[in-house]
Amino acid sequence: MHGEHYVPEPMPSLNGSRYAVAWRRFWLSSLAAEAEYRLNFILATTNSLLALAGSIFGLHLFFRTGYRLGGWSWEEALLVMGVFTLLDGFASALLNPNLNRIVSHIRDGTMDFILLKPMDSQFWVSARHFSLWGVPNVLFGLITLGYAGKKLGFGWTEWAQGSLPVALAVLILYSLWFALAATSVWFVKIYNVTFVLRSFLEAGRFPISAFPQPSRFFFTFILPVAFLTTVPAESMLGRTGAGNVAWAGVTAILLLLLSRWFWRFSLRFYTSASS
Amino acid sequence: MALIETHNLSKQYRTADKAPTLAGTIRHFLRRRYRTVEAVKDVSFSIERGEMVGFLGPNGAGKTTCLKMLTGLICPTSGTASVAGHTPFRREHPFLRQITLVMGQKQQLIWDLPPADSFRINAAVYELSDDVLKTRVGELAEMLSLSTQLSQPVRKLSLGERMKAELLAALLHRPDVLFLDEPTLGLDVNAQAAVREFLRDYNRRFGATVLLTSHYMADITALCQRILLIHKGQVIYDGALDRIVQRFAPYREVKIELANVEGQADFTRYGEVLAQDGRVVTLMIQRRNLTETVATLMRELELADLTITDPPVEQIIGRIFTKGNAA
Amino acid sequence: MKRTLRKARLLLGVTYAEMMEYRAELYLWALSGIMPFILMGLWAKAAGETPMGMPPVDFVRYFLAVFVVRQMTMVWVVWDFEYDVVNGQLSPRLLHPLNPVWRYVASHVGERFSRIPFVTALMGIFFLLYPKAWWVPAPGTLALAILAMLVAFIMRFVMQYAFAMLAFWTERANAIEDLWFTLYLFLSGYIAPLEMFPPAVREATLYTPFPYLVYVPAKLLAGQPVPALTTGFLVTLAWGLVFLALQQVLWRTGLRRYSAMGA
Repeated sequence: MHGEHYVPEPMPSLNGSRYAVAWRRFWLSSLAAEAEYRLNFILATTNSLLALAGSIFGLHLFFRTGYRLGGWSWEEALLVMGVFTLLDGFASALLNPNLNRIVSHIRDGTMDFILLKPMDSQFWVSARHFSLWGVPNVLFGLITLGYAGKKLGFGWTEWAQGSLPVALAVLILYSLWFALAATSVWFVKIYNVTFVLRSFLEAGRFPISAFPQPSRFFFTFILPVAFLTTVPAESMLGRTGAGNVAWAGVTAILLLLLSRWFWRFSLRFYTSASS
Repeated sequence: MALIETHNLSKQYRTADKAPTLAGTIRHFLRRRYRTVEAVKDVSFSIERGEMVGFLGPNGAGKTTCLKMLTGLICPTSGTASVAGHTPFRREHPFLRQITLVMGQKQQLIWDLPPADSFRINAAVYELSDDVLKTRVGELAEMLSLSTQLSQPVRKLSLGERMKAELLAALLHRPDVLFLDEPTLGLDVNAQAAVREFLRDYNRRFGATVLLTSHYMADITALCQRILLIHKGQVIYDGALDRIVQRFAPYREVKIELANVEGQADFTRYGEVLAQDGRVVTLMIQRRNLTETVATLMRELELADLTITDPPVEQIIGRIFTKGNAA
Repeated sequence: MKRTLRKARLLLGVTYAEMMEYRAELYLWALSGIMPFILMGLWAKAAGETPMGMPPVDFVRYFLAVFVVRQMTMVWVVWDFEYDVVNGQLSPRLLHPLNPVWRYVASHVGERFSRIPFVTALMGIFFLLYPKAWWVPAPGTLALAILAMLVAFIMRFVMQYAFAMLAFWTERANAIEDLWFTLYLFLSGYIAPLEMFPPAVREATLYTPFPYLVYVPAKLLAGQPVPALTTGFLVTLAWGLVFLALQQVLWRTGLRRYSAMGA
């Protein structure tokens, strides 16, 4: 073949979409990388269990004296806690390990490699890693939901009503987190601002009606925590009309588009400023 | 049309200066004064398919900025660039499939896992089937003389092995155009030679076009027939490596050996004295006076030997950069 | 003595300047301490609707005090220490004629001072928005509260530094600290004043080190009565000694291991 012009061989097609194959390999490789540290998983599970016990204890303190937290019964409030734990697990499994790396990709310049791959860069930075650490919380969240649902006599309809709002909550959470993580293009120092978001989201442990008026406004319209946990729980309880779910849908789509636009916008700065 | 073509490519940065005091910080915040830095200025060149071209220049000359504009990582302030018929900054997928960028000081391999795992990920991204992946890894690994290293975690590899594995990962999709930014940085002499050997081999075998920056002269002399000399953001020379000597070194080195030690004269009147060691004197003499001066030397001194050579390329380039102008 | 003071002053000056470089991050960190305000809203509303044994304004003051105590007793030595061990930065420090712990202490203390303006400003805004919560603790209790915060900070530091020693054996010393921190969150009075706990749990909690890290200093700062201060002090002292001894043992064996590995 010496000196002769290279003719690319025809690309054999893969089964399924390229993104699906890539996604599977992403996760397998990050599982393999984490398997190097087995003790971690045991510690994470223990910690999740302790945290769940603690949160239930904390919630119980409100009900001990006969107070109905924001007008919600004990089991109903447990639903909110269950959705929160589920989302928390999702964040630890996917959002944290991926989006917190954006800052180091930018600081170390390895973002270059990602931008030069013939693949959507938002997909890459969002789906590249998977952490087992979040799995226990997802499970505990589901268990809490199952327990509370059983006490409330839930059937298939209730669960079905709740599933769409939960999916929308996942989208909203992802978009918020992603948009904030993308700001690290400008503020690169040691850490990114997602931990501030995480601390504000703690409010989602409780039904939104348990908050005084001003914070209720804040957690609905400024930072849509209400859509993350309260709306899904209300949907399961059949307490909310289609209107609220529709709003959650609109919020989710808008935020998703916003995160996408914002990513492109911030990359413009990355690509015109780096040296 | 040439494979890579740039026309008046320029990149300017705006930077703001800040005084280290508190007052400086406040001023920096309220009313920033910007300064424009011209990292790359009106760079035009074209490269044909299959060429190996070296970007040469001191740190901060604009080599990396050029490379990043050609790969589409940064957007030019003005001017145009075209690589394989694409505008790099659009970063269209068909374009990205044809190029690769290897950076000596950054790595894409997964730290905790063997390189093979990273290859599988790249294979998925570039849609290579398992068979193709296997053949290509086999082929490239052989060229790079890598074997068992591919199944060890990256963190356990030596710097040289890691660089080879990086090259393998970057070339799996068999790109037509290779951009290499300091690919031998920090490697020991043997590893440097191995990387060079591989690049030459790859270029020959697949007809790939290679554009590399390095501040190791040996990389450039070993690989590139053509160099682009960059200084302060501008191309000050574009052409064959051996011709640079004539262009930038209007002088030659004349080494004379005197027949006896006595009667030593003042050699400065013949030319600049580079070295004097006993009876051996090395002089630098302007090319245009060469014949005349040599004749004078032979007439006036009793010589045992006389040799005329070109000064080494490193020395010439070093002179260009310190003098800071295109002679 | 004079030389030690000079050393301390220099070390503090440098770490303070370093911390000022990271001001933006510091403020963000401080902002992430928002939880007490979330709980403040919940408990004040609850107390307004059902008798909780404490009027709403007491909850407001308590949680504001919790916020201050948290800000003033933040400790992160386990992450710093782990980083230094993993990256081999501990080695040069071992060659200095100064126990490395003092560097960490200095950076914590220096950071504290750079945080004060922020905390003060935030409290100012809070009182402007909610003047009903304004209070001034009696000078005696204020002094006691400051002392209690100091003790809380020292306790947090000693405990976390003991866990940090595990970095000599594992790359995950902070996971142990995370576990401990979860207990701290729920038992320290961070989520609710101890009066709200069921009596049996409250009694048991008083024998752990946790209430003295948040509840007691916050109560003092809010000018509210604290039961059995002396017992509390003795319990803290006992736990402090236990962790100090643990830290010493781990430091010695760990250091032997560290140098044996040639790091």
